[in-house]
This record gives sequence, structure tokens and C-alpha cells, in this order.
Amino acid sequence: MKVDNSLPLEYSTEENSLKILGFWIFLGAEIMLFATLFAAYFTLENRLGNGPSGAEIFEITPVLVETLLLLTSSFVIGLGIHAMRLGNKKAMMIFFSITLLLGAGFLGFEIYEFIHYVHVGATLQTSAFTAILLTTLGTHGLHVTFGLFWGLFILIQIKKRGLTPETANKSFIFSLYWHFLDIIWIFIFSFIYLKGMM
Amino acid sequence: MNELFPLKQVMGFVLSLVLTAVALLVYFTDMSLLSGMTVLLLTAFIQAGLQIVVFMHAGETNDKKSIYTNIYYGILIALVTIFGTLLVMVWDM
Repeated sequence: MKVDNSLPLEYSTEENSLKILGFWIFLGAEIMLFATLFAAYFTLENRLGNGPSGAEIFEITPVLVETLLLLTSSFVIGLGIHAMRLGNKKAMMIFFSITLLLGAGFLGFEIYEFIHYVHVGATLQTSAFTAILLTTLGTHGLHVTFGLFWGLFILIQIKKRGLTPETANKSFIFSLYWHFLDIIWIFIFSFIYLKGMM
Repeated sequence: MNELFPLKQVMGFVLSLVLTAVALLVYFTDMSLLSGMTVLLLTAFIQAGLQIVVFMHAGETNDKKSIYTNIYYGILIALVTIFGTLLVMVWDM
């Protein structure tokens, strides 16, 4: 294995660089996945049937809390990668743990939000609008849930094996995934919630 | 302790918070649909760019060109999908 010490650990072998590029290409496909969901949402958002509209069921407080939690977690995992590049394993693990806790908090609020929707009569079967709303939010929520487990396993590996080119590469790729989820949330926040409540 | 909080990333975070606050104006003030959407499009895309450049380190290695080509291609397909759908299904053109 040829190790290039002029590059950060996560890029230090050719395989590592290729894995990072490969993950960017995967994220490109994810952009398109969410684009189809947004396209369907904009098509169906006024097909209410007998169900409620977005303006009637959206609540600004939980949405704002979710936004701040995810935004902060995205910043904190960035600090984690920075600490990793400094070779500071302890700080990196602390930042990654905080990231996952904030992510779990986000998910808690989202679950609360879904329960609220069901209580006010906006279920998956109520109308075309509620179906696409819950599908879009659910797809993002599922990604966050998956990310929580992924991040947890990476933390365990770092604890066991320390910072190696391999674990650093995995951590960096996970950070790309996490930032990407925050980007998708920004669009959900802007074009589903804020547009719906405008 | 300071070396753990690089200025660039802290500024990126502060800017994201400011942009979120600006986006919230749409909710707290009485805006027309057109100006509201303009504000949201601007704040959302600037924030997305901020994440990609500051936090995801997109431009740091020799793969810079490939990464940006890939992102632009993804965004192009996303916009074509969304606006194509809007044209046919919502705006009836």
C-alpha cells in the first residue's frame, strides 16, 4: 500500500481517494432521488381531497428545532473531521458523539411531528398531499436513522483500531453523507415547510 | 483548544444560521409568493453551496474537477426533473 504523507490520512492511498470520489458520485444519485420526490411533492401539494393542507398541520416550533439540531450537527461533524486531520482521536470521537446525539434529537422531534400529523388526521392514506409529504419526510428521516447506526459503528471502529488510513477514510465518507442530509433538509425546510406556511 | 475550532468552519456555521434566519422572514413577514420564493431559492442554494465548499471539502484534492462536474450534473438533472414536472403537471404548458 503506497501511502502519500503529504495528503490528509483519509486520502493517503489511491484506494482511499477513489472511495471518496465514488461516494461523491453516489451523492449525485441521491440528489436525483430527492429531486423526484420534490417533483412529486410540488405536483401533489394542492391535491388535498378531504384532508388538511400544509398550512393547517405544519408547526413552526418543532420544524425550527429540527433545523437547528441538524445544522449544528453538520457543523460539529465538520469539527470532528478537522480534529481527525490534526490526529486528535479523543476530540474527534467527542465531536462525532455530539453529532450523533444531535442527530438522535432531530429524529426524536421528527417522530413527534409524525405522531402529531396522525393525530390531526394526516396519515399516509388521507390524501395525495399527505402521502407525498410523509413519503418525502420519511425518506429523509430513514436516511438519518441509517446514518445514526453507520456513525455509531464507525465510532466503535475508531475506538478499537485508532486513526488509520482506513478508519479515517470511513469517517470522512460518513461526514460527507451527514452534510448531504443537512443539505436535503435545508430544501425540505425551505420548500415544504416555509413555502407551505407562507 | 482554539485549533479545534477553525475560523473558516465557525464562520460557515454562523453564516448558515444567518441564512436560516433570513429564510424565516418568509414566515414572519407578509411577503408575496414571488418575493418569498426568491428569498427561499437564494438562501437554500447559498446554504447548500456553503456546506459543499466549507464542510465537505469538495475542492481540496486533484479530484476537484470530477467532484464539481458530478455535483453540477446531479443538480442539472434535479432541476430538469423538477421544472419539467412542474411545466407538464402544474403549469399546464
